[in-house]
Amino acid sequence: MRHGHVRRWALAAAPVGALLLAGCGIQGTGVVEAGGPASVRVGPDPDFDALLFFRLPDGELTPVVRSFPPANAFPDEYEQTGGPVLPRSPERAVLALLAGPAKEDEAAGLSTSLPRTTTAGGVRVRSAADGRVLVNLPLALGALDATAVRQLICTAAYSKDRDGRVTVLVKGRDGVTATGICGLDLNGEDPGPTPTAVATRGRTAPPGPTP
Amino acid sequence: MPRVLLIEDDPAVREGVELGLRRRGHDVRSAATGEAGLEALSEFRPDLLLLDLMLPGMNGVQVCRRVRENSQLPIIMLTARGDDFDMIVGLEAGADDYIVKPARPEVLEARIRAVLRRIEPTDTERPATRVHGDLTIDRAALTVTKAGRRLALAPSELKLLLHLSAAPEQVFSRQQLLEHVWEHSYHADARLVDACVRRLRNKIEDDSGTPRYVQTLRGFGYRFGPL
Amino acid sequence: MSPAPTAGVPAPDGGSPVHDGAEHPEGGGGRRDPGGRRRARWSWAFGLRTRLTLAFLLVAAVSAGTTAALTYREARSALLQTAQDTAVSSFRDEVRQTGFPMPLQAEGIEGVLRDIARKGRPHPWVAFAEYGSIRASSGTSPVSGVITPQLRRAARANPHGSFQRVVKDGVPYLTIAMPTVFPTGPEGVLPTGLVLYAVMRMTDEQINVEALLTAARDGALPGLVVALLPGLLAARSVLRPVRELRRAARSMGSGRLDTRIQVRGGDELADLARTFNESAEQLEHSVRELRQAEARARRFASDVSHELRTPLAGMLAVTEVLDEDAGRLDPDTARAVRLISSETGKLAGLVEDLMEISRFDARAAELNTDELDAAEAVRKTLENRHWTDGRVRTELPEGIRVRLDPRRFDVVVANLVGNALRHGGTPVTVRLRRGTGSDGVPLLVTEVADNGPGIRPEALPHIFDRFYKADAARTRSEGSGLGLAITLENVRLHRGTVRAGNRPEGGAVFTVEIPLHTEGDGR
Repeated sequence: MRHGHVRRWALAAAPVGALLLAGCGIQGTGVVEAGGPASVRVGPDPDFDALLFFRLPDGELTPVVRSFPPANAFPDEYEQTGGPVLPRSPERAVLALLAGPAKEDEAAGLSTSLPRTTTAGGVRVRSAADGRVLVNLPLALGALDATAVRQLICTAAYSKDRDGRVTVLVKGRDGVTATGICGLDLNGEDPGPTPTAVATRGRTAPPGPTP
Repeated sequence: MPRVLLIEDDPAVREGVELGLRRRGHDVRSAATGEAGLEALSEFRPDLLLLDLMLPGMNGVQVCRRVRENSQLPIIMLTARGDDFDMIVGLEAGADDYIVKPARPEVLEARIRAVLRRIEPTDTERPATRVHGDLTIDRAALTVTKAGRRLALAPSELKLLLHLSAAPEQVFSRQQLLEHVWEHSYHADARLVDACVRRLRNKIEDDSGTPRYVQTLRGFGYRFGPL
Repeated sequence: MSPAPTAGVPAPDGGSPVHDGAEHPEGGGGRRDPGGRRRARWSWAFGLRTRLTLAFLLVAAVSAGTTAALTYREARSALLQTAQDTAVSSFRDEVRQTGFPMPLQAEGIEGVLRDIARKGRPHPWVAFAEYGSIRASSGTSPVSGVITPQLRRAARANPHGSFQRVVKDGVPYLTIAMPTVFPTGPEGVLPTGLVLYAVMRMTDEQINVEALLTAARDGALPGLVVALLPGLLAARSVLRPVRELRRAARSMGSGRLDTRIQVRGGDELADLARTFNESAEQLEHSVRELRQAEARARRFASDVSHELRTPLAGMLAVTEVLDEDAGRLDPDTARAVRLISSETGKLAGLVEDLMEISRFDARAAELNTDELDAAEAVRKTLENRHWTDGRVRTELPEGIRVRLDPRRFDVVVANLVGNALRHGGTPVTVRLRRGTGSDGVPLLVTEVADNGPGIRPEALPHIFDRFYKADAARTRSEGSGLGLAITLENVRLHRGTVRAGNRPEGGAVFTVEIPLHTEGDGR
């Protein structure tokens, strides 16, 4: 009988002890989201800098800042969108992208999916009447992979619009075109899970000069 | 033969005792109440009063006191065992002895004789009158005077005083006194002795609280003196 | 005839000693089972008081413990939350105030990280940077062993600050991941691809937590001690009525049936007290009725004896007349008259004994003690009964002074000797000696032994009963049948004992033990 009592008392005391014991020390947790990211100053100087998009080792695209000092500006190339005249030109940005990662970029492990092209001519970037950005490339688009196309679209978008929120149409020498938006913008309209600015690729025109 | 007055309310007991005693040669007169008994007293002049304690109207103790007011008539109480309180009161009132009812006639006879028996002069050689302090005891005349004044002592008181003073300073146990003075058995009620001693002291002592003549020895008994 | 055995010495061997022959009812039963009392006392130690106090303490402990534990948990999570939030936001602030080249360059980044690490709040932390293939830290190792892949994955997948608490080797760490972004234009924001990590040991937090734990314990423990006082008070308030009840029950047990308990309040204990009072009242009522009935019965016996005595007194007074005159009557009438005379005498004795017994029953018997010589008292008893013709032998040492009621002692000795002479065989031996009681009281021991057949064992327990006939064949003895009962009562009145038994060498023996000094009247 007495044992029964003891057991009952122990039963009553057990939760308290358990509670006390469980509360001791600091336990590990899962990953907890806490606020937004840190916004840092990296430039770009809107007048002289351009953003080129290279590939990180994990395959994602990341922007790098490439400066174009005023001395190297092409004053004859104007945009007629009504915006301010930019000393940097979109063509130079695309050319720089095609030229491949610089030494510093490669040191940080960045790479490109585009074939290195050093020809200076044949790249034209202009704005269409519907607000799209048209890019003519001096290389065959059909041989490029998706990442390469996105590199092109993003670089072109940010070279024409500081927020990169424009649709880009790329047309290769082989007549293959790809269209899309960059979609890397965190504040973008559609920052969906696949913001991959997917280029809709297709032979919209036969090979040859664009009309 | 002694004349006995019997005061007893129960007719059967009265008649039985009367019959028994008369048969033994006593001159017996009986009364049914205390008042009647007291009336018969002066006319009959008995030698002894047999007094039932439980009486209607005037009870035995009151009768006893009334008698003692002017008489040293020997009185024997008739009592039932267990009526201790009445017995003690009766003894204090001046009764000389008691008999427990029911009693056979020979017992009654023996008691009556014992009470009436005179103390024999023990020593004829010695003078009958002896003086102890203020007390003068005349064994021949059976009188006691204190400072020249004669004391009225009931028979039992006188016998007790004579017995004790016959051997001054000798201690008598209460059992011895019961046997010799009252002729009771050794085992009889010692309160009989105590009551008599108290009555005697009231009469002979200057201060009965610190007795001079009849002294107590606790655990042993009584003695006369030393003065 | 062999010489009488030495007085008072029990038989050395063979058979049971005299005194053990049989315990007569007087032999007190003594208190039994002292172990039971001890057990009861022991269980008192674990009794109601202890249990109540323990229960109170337990409740106090549970509530104090629970409160402490809950408070502790709340406080701890609040504490950790604060620490974490402070760390995350300050880390974010530090990072925000730092400029990074894009792409990141391995040279110089460690200096920047050390700068950030130094400003760590609430504690210094180790800052790590991961960009492309660049791994750098403010510490010795460029890659932390504490940061989990989950945290890395989360930091890469969505651009939010996040943290994770990791316990490694018993040491808790706070790991914070902080992806960096930069504005491209008025609205656009792009991730830079640089993720900064901070790893902070939470040792101080741990200390705080431990301090908190100690504080809870130190708070709860005094709380328990403080709870002990009301616990004891509560136990007391419950136990007081219980104690009162016990006292009252004991008081009732010792005969004070008018015991009542004061009823306080309206709780269960008050109900109990009320029930007790009601029961006590009923008991008192029943006992009163019983006593009244008993008293009526006693008074009846007494009254009957009284009423018998008066006619007997008359009859007894005339028996002598009958006896004397019987000789002159014709033989039949003479026999009848003599029969009436002798039976009247016996009837008188019987009524006298009945009166005596009813006085004992009514507790009206008084002890009129006197100091006397025991040997002389016995001798006088035998003389008065004329038992001096050699039927009774005596061993009466002189000089034993004893204080007793002479008349009652006479009755005791006479009854025992008379009984021995009637039922036992002569010679009857009366022996006196001094003795000592179990409590050291000096005793007068009186033994009356006979040479008869002894008392049958089955008769021994009843030998002192009223009207008990030890010998069934003898339907009517010469005695009243109350002699031994009166003897027992008289001895009791002297605070003494009387036993009956059989001697090993044959014959019955009665042993009376009376204190040498019975002081005054016992009642």
